[in-house]
Amino acid sequence: MSAAMETTPATTTVELPRFGSFTYAEEEVFSFPWGLPGFPALRHWLALTLPTQPNFVWLQSLDDLKVAIPTCDPYMVFEKYDPKLPAYAVAALEIADPGEFTLLCVMVATAEAEEMTMNLMAPIVVNLRTRQARQVMLENSGYSMKESVPRKASGGEAVGEAAKASTPQ
Amino acid sequence: MLVLSRKINQSIMVGDNVRIVVVAVDRDQVKLGIEAPRDIPVHRSEIYEEIQRTNQSAAASPVPTEKLEAGKATLQPRKPSKKGNPDH
Repeated sequence: MSAAMETTPATTTVELPRFGSFTYAEEEVFSFPWGLPGFPALRHWLALTLPTQPNFVWLQSLDDLKVAIPTCDPYMVFEKYDPKLPAYAVAALEIADPGEFTLLCVMVATAEAEEMTMNLMAPIVVNLRTRQARQVMLENSGYSMKESVPRKASGGEAVGEAAKASTPQ
Repeated sequence: MLVLSRKINQSIMVGDNVRIVVVAVDRDQVKLGIEAPRDIPVHRSEIYEEIQRTNQSAAASPVPTEKLEAGKATLQPRKPSKKGNPDH
């Protein structure tokens, strides 16, 4: 991948404090029209990966380049995760077909990354067709906001069998 | 903050579409009913605040210190499944 690609009006290069220089096209931006709890003003995000952490999707804010949030496809760790999306999310995101959305769950790591937790109670629902996304709350779902993630699953290695077994409920 | 007094079964309109009804009062606990359009989420404040804190902690997560070339993530659609379908 050539970093010195010509910058056409359709692409923008930003200097990210965490990840360095990054060039993206406008159509790669995900829109969070309702913001994200804790970051209500940040509406435009990119989904990035790092070569050493293929299981992570880093949501990088384009409105505040200092802000990046690690997320993970919950099914990679919790195979049986099967939340019922609230009606407001389906309506707001105009999800017409179950094949057009995906979920990302926010990961929290301690300073030494000794322990990781995944927020299964409030997944981010992404409409892949419209690229609009919204974090939703599954109150009374029984899913935890701080579900412990086996270490093996959070790193660059393949998701372990032990991780698959620990599904809530 | 606007403060209104209501009796049981009386309600308050917020805008044109949100109605909040006092359903029951029992000592220091009030039961409220909320009628809102489908696209408006209604949650207990403390849960929303916990999600805010979780997101802020996540944003403080450590990243690898060496500069790595970030790539674009490919998001895979959730495989259609009978149980996981959105509620139409």
